[in-house]
Amino acid sequence: MSYVFDLERSAKGLRLNRFLHSLIDAAQRKLFLEQPEAAMEELSEEEKDMVRRLDWRAMQDYGASFFCLEKLARTKGVSNPEMVAHFRGETLEAFLRTRRVPGAR
Amino acid sequence: MARIVGGIGTSHVPTIAMAFDKGKQQDPDWKPLFAGYQAVAKWLAEKKPDVLFFCFNDHATTFFFDQYPTFALGVSEEYRIADEGLGVRKIPRLKGDAKLARHVARSLVDDEFDLTVFQDLPLDHGVHSPLTMMWPSQPDWPGRVVPLFVNVLQHPLPRPSRCFALGKAIRKAISSYPEDLKVAMVGTGGLSHQMIGERAGFNDERWDREFLDLIERDPERLAQMSIADFARLGGNEGAEVVMWLIMRGALRPDARKLHDSYYLPMTTAMAVALFE
Repeated sequence: MSYVFDLERSAKGLRLNRFLHSLIDAAQRKLFLEQPEAAMEELSEEEKDMVRRLDWRAMQDYGASFFCLEKLARTKGVSNPEMVAHFRGETLEAFLRTRRVPGAR
Repeated sequence: MARIVGGIGTSHVPTIAMAFDKGKQQDPDWKPLFAGYQAVAKWLAEKKPDVLFFCFNDHATTFFFDQYPTFALGVSEEYRIADEGLGVRKIPRLKGDAKLARHVARSLVDDEFDLTVFQDLPLDHGVHSPLTMMWPSQPDWPGRVVPLFVNVLQHPLPRPSRCFALGKAIRKAISSYPEDLKVAMVGTGGLSHQMIGERAGFNDERWDREFLDLIERDPERLAQMSIADFARLGGNEGAEVVMWLIMRGALRPDARKLHDSYYLPMTTAMAVALFE
């Protein structure tokens, strides 16, 4: 499948992306960490489920922008190499073995 | 009259800022990155440009998809630092050159580049991750910035040829500014990387080296490529290097590359190059 973030994906992912984007606000991050269901009120059940499970691949396939997913990752303390490994379908350790400087993160 | 004294191409990977903020200058994993920026920092300290004209992209931080410009020029006196999910970096707010920016906006629209303008918005790592590698931020920045936002996130993206032409129009705009100012162009992004899909983690050093050569010698050839070409060769997210074409378009056609450096530790090839 194509992962190009085009207007079709943007339209489908708008509500989810809006939630992910809201995490640039410190108060919203606090709410999400303390009362996730309250922070996710606007989302559909399907969307909430993907966020609860931090299923990066499912969110990406659904229409989440990588750059909006980064906001959720930072809030939950997940690094980009961890997300990239997830997209590739491998463990972080396996992904790092493919890198030139695994400590540079 | 204002004049362009040179140009810089640079990656804007967020971990560059992380390494800087954590003081990793001597860490063996990061030392080659910092070493690569020394020549650029020295050049800036010697040339003392009044303004850095920054062609950058926001990362769905300040600009969101409910309203997404293709090109947007910052025309403020000052820019806050954006919170991207980890709190705000402890660096001073950026000083803008509002007067120059307004002149550039008028000149570009007159030249049929109908861009968006923005003011009083925070800037994310697209600008300040490379900036702290090149300019001292303490006690305060030594000069001002004019930020030009480019859509490299939501397709359709502007064509590489359009980016190159925009650079030429920016040269015309800056050259017609009556004040005696020195301006350095900065084009950010890349080099090869892909953050999404099964091909996440993709890089191609051979293509990156070719890009670093062509951006000096034959930018017209790069400008004739498509966004799809750039994405195939340098990864989906690597196509953002079209922002280097804006910088290059604003330089003299015969500008020479004085320095470049390439480091590929993790997912994104980090490069910096200096042109005069």
